[in-house]
Order: sequence, then structure tokens, then C-alpha cells
Amino acid sequence: MIHFDNVTKVYANQNRPALDHVSVDVDKGEFVFLVGPSGSGKSTFLRLILKEERPNSGAIHVAGKDLARLSNFKVPHLRRRIGCVFQDFRLLPNKNVYENVAFALEVIGKPRRFIRKVVPEVVELVGLEGKAHRMPDELSGGEQQRVAMARAFVNRPMILLADEPTGNIDPATSIGIMKVLDRINRTGTTVVMATHDAAIVDSMRKRVVELEDGKIVRDQSRGVYGQAY
Amino acid sequence: MRANFIFSEVWIGLRRNLTMTIAVVITVAVSMALLGVGLMINSQVGLMKGYWNDKVEISVFLCKKGTAMPACNGKAITPAQTKALQEHIQNTPGVKGVIFEDEAAAYENFKQSFSSNKALVDATKVEDLPQSFRISLKDPDNYQPVIDAMKGQPGVAQVMDQKQLISPFFNLLNTLAFAALSVAVVLVLAAALLIGNTVRLSAFNRRRETGIMRLVGASNLYIQLPFVMEGVIAGLVGGVFAAVILILAKVFLFDEVVNFFGTGLGWNDLAQTITLTMIIGVVICILASFVTLRRYLRV
Repeated sequence: MIHFDNVTKVYANQNRPALDHVSVDVDKGEFVFLVGPSGSGKSTFLRLILKEERPNSGAIHVAGKDLARLSNFKVPHLRRRIGCVFQDFRLLPNKNVYENVAFALEVIGKPRRFIRKVVPEVVELVGLEGKAHRMPDELSGGEQQRVAMARAFVNRPMILLADEPTGNIDPATSIGIMKVLDRINRTGTTVVMATHDAAIVDSMRKRVVELEDGKIVRDQSRGVYGQAY
Repeated sequence: MRANFIFSEVWIGLRRNLTMTIAVVITVAVSMALLGVGLMINSQVGLMKGYWNDKVEISVFLCKKGTAMPACNGKAITPAQTKALQEHIQNTPGVKGVIFEDEAAAYENFKQSFSSNKALVDATKVEDLPQSFRISLKDPDNYQPVIDAMKGQPGVAQVMDQKQLISPFFNLLNTLAFAALSVAVVLVLAAALLIGNTVRLSAFNRRRETGIMRLVGASNLYIQLPFVMEGVIAGLVGGVFAAVILILAKVFLFDEVVNFFGTGLGWNDLAQTITLTMIIGVVICILASFVTLRRYLRV
């Protein structure tokens, strides 16, 4: 589903590569934690999958597509198959829960009838039934992140990328968020989650890829966050 | 493509940037109006040139007994001289045709031209009017060589060219058109920059929305169209104001000119000018929006 082959990314005006000859394979339906200290290249990894950045060398395949050969014109279609969740939620403050989720479908031109059908389903999937007409500032951090996940998942993407989704949320609420991610993963969606949260990684027992200074230092199925040598 | 989505975005964008939108509308209106006036003066000059070129001719007045012109020495032209002069005219390069106007014909023309002034007509006798050759030219703009060739010929009292009389007026109109067009060009530039700024502000205001649109895979067209439409609508409204100004200019300025110079612009010419300025205005808005978006809305 995601295939990195010897990928190196050096940002302009920087000597040290953000990713240094990284090769990794993520299969369909997998759940992968991407761990490592700040600046280890986790976000660069996610940005490369979205083709927000281009690698300096190496090849990236996402959902069977060679990103180097994907024209700019087709990048939006790639992104429709990838959902994204961030630490800072990125909701629209002037739209309610329903409208925030529906926005993701409106802007890719889905018909209104389809939107009216699928949005309530997804709102329920993330556990926000009955709160569809709340505004984001009336919701807790955990609930806002659920809205963001509903928006990321509403178009049934093949891949869900989560960049520290629990970074702004207390540990108790984080468990709920992880349950939703797990539920999404069980529908067959590949999930890649970058995180600092050791407790979550340890409790989930999923595949762990650890980055340090742009290199993969550990790739372990059913891993934990800390040193497990 | 969901039109109502695009239009609600456009409406929100225009409202949020109301002051900038008004500035764009005014600048576009004034620049397009000036451009239109310049173009209208230009075609007015063209029309008038065509109209006058058909009529303009060089008049070579012939000496008669007692003519006060020094070239005549008080002597009338002899028939032989008349004949020689006619041949000379016909052999001059640039001459299309020549008509001899005798005293009676000159008197008829005179009576017609001054029919309103009966006293003058009554006071004038047929013999008072000079004979003349009326020369039409192949190229009405190139009159000077023909005039030079006529001057100093025996029996010629005076050479007059109507073109010489009206060319200062044409020059004035041309200068006006040039000035209007120059100012229009500067204002068009200002309008383009203003539109760029408006779009930039708008893109900044909606960076959250566009960021999410990018993320969920909205196509470039879907992301950019609301911004471009904002520019286009501001341009169109400006164009409508410009059209109103041009219509007023036609009614109050150009139609007055018709009364003096026999020919003027019709509604057809005005419609063409308005269409042209509208198209130019909208195209400039689209270009300015796209150029700005490429810089401030990375997709």
C-alpha cells in the first residue's frame, strides 16, 4: 500500500537530510506507529506520502501509484484516497460538526444526496451521534479530534495518516481516540500514526517503525515505544 | 462541480473584503471608461477622416481683373493660361481629378452655402466670384506637394486646401485619444495590482479552508475558482459602471460632435467599444487572479 525505496529528502538550506535512505513497506490494512524524537523525520515521511514534498532520491509508491510519475494534475485524486488527522484538529470554526465533515465531500464535488447519507454514518462511527449540530468551540479536544477523524474517513480512504493525533489530548481521552482509529483500521483502512505517546504504543501492540535523524533504527511488528532489544 | 458551493464561497469572499472589492470596482470602472473613451475618440477620428477625405479638395482660384492678390498683378488669366494650367494640374502626380468651376457655378455654390444670409447673397454679384479649379487627390493626406506645384503658376491667385484648415482639429483629437489611452494603461496596471492584492487578502482569509480542501483532495480548479470568480465579478461590476460612463459620454459628448462635423459614432460602435472594454477588464481580472494565486495558494 505504501512503499518507500531508498528515499532521501533534504530540505533546501539544510545540510542534514530529513530522511536518509529510508526503505519501508506498509501492507494493506496494516496499523503502523511511526515513533522517534522531534525532527527525526516522521512528519516528512507523512508529507512525502501526500506528495506535499518530493524526495531528492528514491522511489515512493502509494496505492499502486509511483508518486514521481504522478502529474500535479492527479495529486488531488491521490489525496482523496488518503485521510489526514493532525495534532491541531484543523476544523473550520464557523461550521458545525456535520458541516465540517460534509465540507470534505462538497469540495470534491460529491452530490448532496450522497453527503446527506454518509455524513451521519461517519459521525456515528466516531462516537459523536447527537452532536452533529454543535460548533467546534462547544466540543472538548477529544470530541474535536473525533470530528477531524470523521472528516478524514468520510470519503472511505485506503490510507489514514495521523500526525500526533493525541498530542493535544489528555491520556484518558486518548484511549477513546485510539479506539476510533482501531475501528477505522478494522474496516480495512491502512493507518500510519506518528506519535510521541509511549503508553499508547505500548498498549496497542502494533507494528512500530522508529526513526532517528532520518534513519530507520527499528522496524518491529507488535512492538513497544521504548527500547525493546 | 457544485455551482452553489462555489458561489457561496465567492459571496463570502467578496463580503469579507468589501473595501478592497470597492477599490477594484472603481479602478476597473475608471480605467475601462478611459480606455473606451480613447477608443471611441480614435474611431471618431477615423470616421471623420473618411467623411472629410471624400470631400476635401484643393481649390486653385484663378486671377480675374482687379484681383487683389499680388501674384496676379491685377491682370485676369488668359484662356491660354487656363488651358495650360489645366494640363499642368492633370500632369501633377497625386492628382485624381480636376473640375473647372466657372463664375456661375461658384455663385450657385455660394448661394447655397450662405442661403441663411440673404443680405450677403443679394450684395454679391456673379462676377465677384473667382473661377477656380477643384482638385481631388489620390491621397488626401499628402496634399503639400500638389499645393506647392500649383503655387506660382501664371494666373493662379490663391491655392487653398481644406485639409490644412481641419488638420489642427484632427491633431487635437489624436492627442486626446492618446492621453486617454495612456492614462487607461496606467490605471489598468493599477487595477491588476489591486486585484492581485484583493485575491491575496482573500487567500489569506481563507487559508484554513483552502488548506483542508487541499488535504481532502479538492481539485485545483475547485480551490482556485472562487478566488478567480471574485476577481471576475469585481471586474464585471466595474465594467458595467464603465459602460454607463461610456453611454453618457456618447450621449453628451460624441453626439454633440456630430452636430458640428457631420458624422459621429452610432450605437453599434458604442456596443463594440463596451464589449471590448468588458472583455479586456474581465481578462485582466482573471490573469491577475491566477498570477497571484500561483504565488499565494500553493496547490
